[in-house]
Amino acid sequence: MLTSACGESSGPAGPSTKVVTIDDIKPGTTVDITWWHGQTSDAARLLGRLAREYEKAHPGVTIKDSAGASTTDELLTKLQAGFASDTYPDISYAYGSWVAKLGSSGRSLDISPLINAAPEAWAEFPEAARQTATVGDRIVGMPAVNGNLAVIYNRTLLKKAGLADPSPDWTWDDFRAYAKKLNDPAHKISGTAYSVAGNEDTTWHLWPQLWQNGGEVLDTSGMPAFNSDAGVEALEFWRSMAQDDKSVYLDQNGEKYGQMFNAGSIAMQITGPWVLYDLKKLKMDYGVQVLPGTDGDHQTVGGFDMWTLFDHSDTNKAAVAYDFVKWLTAPEQDVRWNVANGNLPLRSSAGNTPEFAQYVADFPGADVFFANMGNAKKPRPTVPGYQAMSVEVGKAISEVLLGAKDARTALDEAAKASEAELVN
Amino acid sequence: MAITFSTGDLAQATKTSRQGKEARPTLRSTLTGWAFCGPATLVILGLSVFPAGWAFVLSLQKNDLITPSVNVGFSNYQTLAQDPDMFAAAWHTLFYALMYVPTSVLGGLLLAIALNRPIRFQWFYRTCIFVPFVASAAATGILANFVFDEKFGAANNLLRLLHLPQQGFLTDTHQAMMVIVIISLWGSIGFCVLTYLAALQDISQDIVDAALVDGANKWQVFRHVTLPELGPVTVFTTVWQMIAAIQLFDLVFTTTKGQPLNSTVTLVFYLYRMAFMEFKAGYASAIAYVIFAITMVLTLFMVWYGKKTKVEAF
Repeated sequence: MLTSACGESSGPAGPSTKVVTIDDIKPGTTVDITWWHGQTSDAARLLGRLAREYEKAHPGVTIKDSAGASTTDELLTKLQAGFASDTYPDISYAYGSWVAKLGSSGRSLDISPLINAAPEAWAEFPEAARQTATVGDRIVGMPAVNGNLAVIYNRTLLKKAGLADPSPDWTWDDFRAYAKKLNDPAHKISGTAYSVAGNEDTTWHLWPQLWQNGGEVLDTSGMPAFNSDAGVEALEFWRSMAQDDKSVYLDQNGEKYGQMFNAGSIAMQITGPWVLYDLKKLKMDYGVQVLPGTDGDHQTVGGFDMWTLFDHSDTNKAAVAYDFVKWLTAPEQDVRWNVANGNLPLRSSAGNTPEFAQYVADFPGADVFFANMGNAKKPRPTVPGYQAMSVEVGKAISEVLLGAKDARTALDEAAKASEAELVN
Repeated sequence: MAITFSTGDLAQATKTSRQGKEARPTLRSTLTGWAFCGPATLVILGLSVFPAGWAFVLSLQKNDLITPSVNVGFSNYQTLAQDPDMFAAAWHTLFYALMYVPTSVLGGLLLAIALNRPIRFQWFYRTCIFVPFVASAAATGILANFVFDEKFGAANNLLRLLHLPQQGFLTDTHQAMMVIVIISLWGSIGFCVLTYLAALQDISQDIVDAALVDGANKWQVFRHVTLPELGPVTVFTTVWQMIAAIQLFDLVFTTTKGQPLNSTVTLVFYLYRMAFMEFKAGYASAIAYVIFAITMVLTLFMVWYGKKTKVEAF
């Protein structure tokens, strides 16, 4: 079968490649692809085994798998260096917030023709994941790891404060009251925490409340809209918790609040399923609950990391890279990689598998994160200027939580400062 | 009483006689010379000069190292000249340098003098002072994070025991940079101590004895013999520490990440933020060139100053 497709519209100055499927490759052809999976230790070994299995099923294919960089954060720098020296991989792990940039690099591979040829598997992914992988009219990757924000609380501390586990229909006022009650300066316990490092971790924690209040990050023309009343209200909520109640531990570099939660110094943290593995190791008595709601809306923000694909003007490489990622993210492999490794499955359909039942038994609260996927209704904007805008918003949030500015002024300034980045 | 020792005449005499014997270099000796310094020259060209040239090209572009670049001429430099964040970063760096450089040089000198005396457990004290220097700045920063944590840190616990008011340390906009100065001093004073110790041990006992025979007291020996002998080392350590101060990054990165309220954003941290958080590699390269210019001017000034005062450090 031949999929007629060409990448003529493949972004600014991008090399155009005619995309063919793996079935079009003549038997006996050898194809080598490079895969930077961004994982270390157990996860890396697991992915290596999957690559060997794929190679066995596809004679002639060799997958050179490696982490690509010492930490996932550094993958982007490695990719930048790779682009500069023309030695970038065929597939790389990438944070969702990088995708827009990578998609407009002129090096990414547009897989939309292949997906459109057999769209069933693609349609199974959550809407937010599909949108994260889409840059303009091109699809440049497939979801790799799925996460969302919920509240994880230390049940021992809640009991000590005479508080029951929060219910799924709790509100932000309940959350504030809990934090106030749990806050115990004499015993150095903070009710909750917020990172004021000023990076994306600072920024994306604000989006759920912005959306719950009816706001948007960007307006329809792609200009900042987060400084609306909805945004100001969300930030003002946290300002009053931090400054008036003093129940929020303001984590300066964003690397401490997780450890402090683990040490029992923070009672509730808003975070994702990736911390469950550590909590299980610590044998902590914890609980997970969806984010507090506004008028019954418990919307959260989802974070999808991606397998991004890159174009080497080689149709065989492109076909194999796409086929491998498709295979890797298929339900059968997803339970063996993501679920076995403590991550959420990529699709809601995985909820019926025995592997998932085992996962929920292994990681208490994982079911809440799984159900919370339905609350991740909106993706973070996938525009190239998002990263620069995120830094401005992060700065504004830090200034407000530390009491240096009021919410409206800070957000207005951030909106103004990010306009120039978003125009391009 | 004047104590003067003139070595200038002797040096002049040696130089003259050597010049007389110098022969025209043969092709063979030229090739031998290049064979020795060629590999190192290639390494320097490849790893320093080429990247520096490339960075200059980058600084004339709007470039995020991902999407295709656009040539913008000197507009990055023009923007830089009006960037309030850049001036704030320069001011923070200057403040840091003014606190850090004199303290580390003076402190290093005093500690070296103390450690140069025949005291018991001398090796132990020397090791104690040098160990933090060997530890990586990243490790030092992570450790300091916990020591100076506002709520849970050892520093505030100590203050509590002493019934002193609690401090914000790294979370207080007025204290954060000072705390970073203290952490850097702890981490790097070993370097100054080491260079001064070596220089002190290099001072010929003959000169000291001669001064004592001439009737100088301990202070006079220190003032007129030891200090002038330490001149070159002082110029060297000052330049070195100044360059280190201008390049401050790792401690900021591992402790405050520029916070609170950007009060600890230094020049290099600002560069990092532009290049790797906001994807403005062209603009960041322009910052790099400004930092290079500042370092160059300061170094040339110190070398000139050393020459003027007849203290040859380089």
